[in-house]
Amino acid sequence: MAVNDITDGYALPCGRGLENLWARLQAGDWLVNQDEHERNCPHCQAAGGSLRMLNEATRQLADEPVAPRPALTDRIMSAVRAEARRGEMVPLPTRGGPIGVSEQAIAVVLRFAADGVPGVRARRCTVRTRSVDKQGSGVIDVELSLALRYGVGPAEQILAEVRARVAAAAAVVVGIRVDRCDLRLEDLYP
Amino acid sequence: MGDAGWDDATLVARAGDGDAHAFERLVVRYQRSMYRLALRMLGDAGDAEDVVQEVFLAAWRGLPELRTDAAFVGWLYRMTTNRCLNALRARRPTTELQPDSARSRRVDVQPERATEISSELAALTTALDGLTASQRACWLLREAHGRSYEEIAAILGTSSTAVRGRIARARAQLAEAMQPWR
Repeated sequence: MAVNDITDGYALPCGRGLENLWARLQAGDWLVNQDEHERNCPHCQAAGGSLRMLNEATRQLADEPVAPRPALTDRIMSAVRAEARRGEMVPLPTRGGPIGVSEQAIAVVLRFAADGVPGVRARRCTVRTRSVDKQGSGVIDVELSLALRYGVGPAEQILAEVRARVAAAAAVVVGIRVDRCDLRLEDLYP
Repeated sequence: MGDAGWDDATLVARAGDGDAHAFERLVVRYQRSMYRLALRMLGDAGDAEDVVQEVFLAAWRGLPELRTDAAFVGWLYRMTTNRCLNALRARRPTTELQPDSARSRRVDVQPERATEISSELAALTTALDGLTASQRACWLLREAHGRSYEEIAAILGTSSTAVRGRIARARAQLAEAMQPWR
């Protein structure tokens, strides 16, 4: 076999290269396909033995069943929730007086509504107050990016359904009117 | 979001939008990989958890500015690696280029697991101490986390040729250290 060694300077005392030996070990070639020199060279044999052990130990390290303590997720998430981004407030009149609903909270409702259409996953949803109507209620513009399941059906029909559900959710769940609803089909998922 | 199999790009987009539930899915999905890297870089379970927490909090803050949602995992690896390197530098400010044999080694292992750790793995984790921090980072990212040379180069802000060189050097050193256990 061709020995094309010493590309990296890690040569054994006999002149053969360690990286070449490693590559052949990885390919399963080393054990079955040694040349005359390699079979009789103590340096090559010792290096082969060490690398096989390293290979085995590396595999064990990669599969090592270590994990952070289960409490870490909660620690991370309470720090995250402490800095939740809420966005601007959209005015909403109620019988008890006007209140504000955060754009972030409205986005949650609208994404959930879009997710309800089969084969649709809502991604980014931006809510902006466009104006305030005569009753003092904010009118919003929505930008929503989506991923569709591959082969789910004609996009046009599905996007129309998403638009309808988003408007309905805004009206029924929040009590607010959507003026503009820009949908962006961003991706397909299997 | 009833389905646990949501794609990363969707979760990243929603998390970038402020959806904490989507972000939690990403934390659950990737915290173990980042912890394993930090644990082997730092040799200390408590320090490793601290790094992982910092990385995810920084991710949450930085997500709205992340350009492509597909770059998320590489970004986590970059933040984790850099924080580990900084933590190691802070431990021993004057000996950055020296091997890391002086770093503390307190890897908490469940008692029932302790006996299952093979002599090969024990030899390897000891030998990893003998590498420099940047060699160890390169070697771990490649061999224990399966990242490409190009990705590792981007993570460390160097060339893939330099990364190949460091990994080759690390491998030669590790192989040598493995010998007494043959």
